[in-house]
Amino acid sequence: MIDWYDWPGGREAMIRLGPDHGPVVVVVLPLFEEANRTRTFAVTMMRALAVRGVASALPDLPGTGDSLVATEAATLADWQSALSAAAASVGARASVAIRSGALLDGAIANRWHLAPQNGAALVRELDRLRAADGRIAGNRVDPGVIDALSLAAPAAARTVRLESDPGPADRTVPGAPLWRRAEPGNDPVLAEALADDIVDWVRQCAD
Amino acid sequence: MAAPARTWQGVSPKVGRAKDNSGGSLAVQPDGAAEIVETVRAVLRDVLGVSDERAAAFREDTPLFGALPELDSMAVAGVLTEIEDRLGILIDDDDIDGETLETFGALTEFAKRKALG
Repeated sequence: MIDWYDWPGGREAMIRLGPDHGPVVVVVLPLFEEANRTRTFAVTMMRALAVRGVASALPDLPGTGDSLVATEAATLADWQSALSAAAASVGARASVAIRSGALLDGAIANRWHLAPQNGAALVRELDRLRAADGRIAGNRVDPGVIDALSLAAPAAARTVRLESDPGPADRTVPGAPLWRRAEPGNDPVLAEALADDIVDWVRQCAD
Repeated sequence: MAAPARTWQGVSPKVGRAKDNSGGSLAVQPDGAAEIVETVRAVLRDVLGVSDERAAAFREDTPLFGALPELDSMAVAGVLTEIEDRLGILIDDDDIDGETLETFGALTEFAKRKALG
């Protein structure tokens, strides 16, 4: 279902799936182009969580998705503030963040990260994309966002990475990085495996 | 530690700026050349979305940039960043020129040079 949440800068939409009772997680997509590449996968994971009795909310952050805020007008602090507001509005005390989404959820009590990307690595890639196109995912971005992102790092979290990723992880899983594909794809098998991991983790958080 | 100057067949010898960016702990051991080739092959497969069969058929002289329609300038950004992540290296974009991406062999030699010093 499509719901709404209010944050200090306005109102944004969010997708909500799953039961009315029980644990709730807020899902955080990567920033910029990778958001488009992982959205279908994230919703597949949310459906798998719903089947397992865990509810989830996927908010549009200001300047992303269907937000009316211009991408160029959004700041890193806005995204973090809006995410906290979205989580609070659904009673979520846990986040499930993909890639650079892990830069936004430091204020959420419990964090689960898939292939988290630190800000410096993100900015290196953004610089390459801008060199190629002059824009990021077709949008102009506030230079202050790039400065802020270059210093941002994911907060401590349960961390799952793909086997091809040598970064530090609590667990690695087989799979291809959907966030790298120019043509958006999906991986329902990976989504199911990750949903199992999230459910085990979120139940431990509730204890 | 200065990397020894080397030249590689098919690659312009722009090794002057090669440096160890890994803080002293190389992610790949010096005997990992074959592993690097397979890592680069996997990166191209994953980023470009080409099939396992096509990726497995890449040889040293397989042309890349200009020959693979999937490898546009945006995809190059993804390929370079993913190679950095998987090999634990940093790539200075000034080290990249058209020849670096001309063939599979040129790209793997570049990756070896950055990762193995």
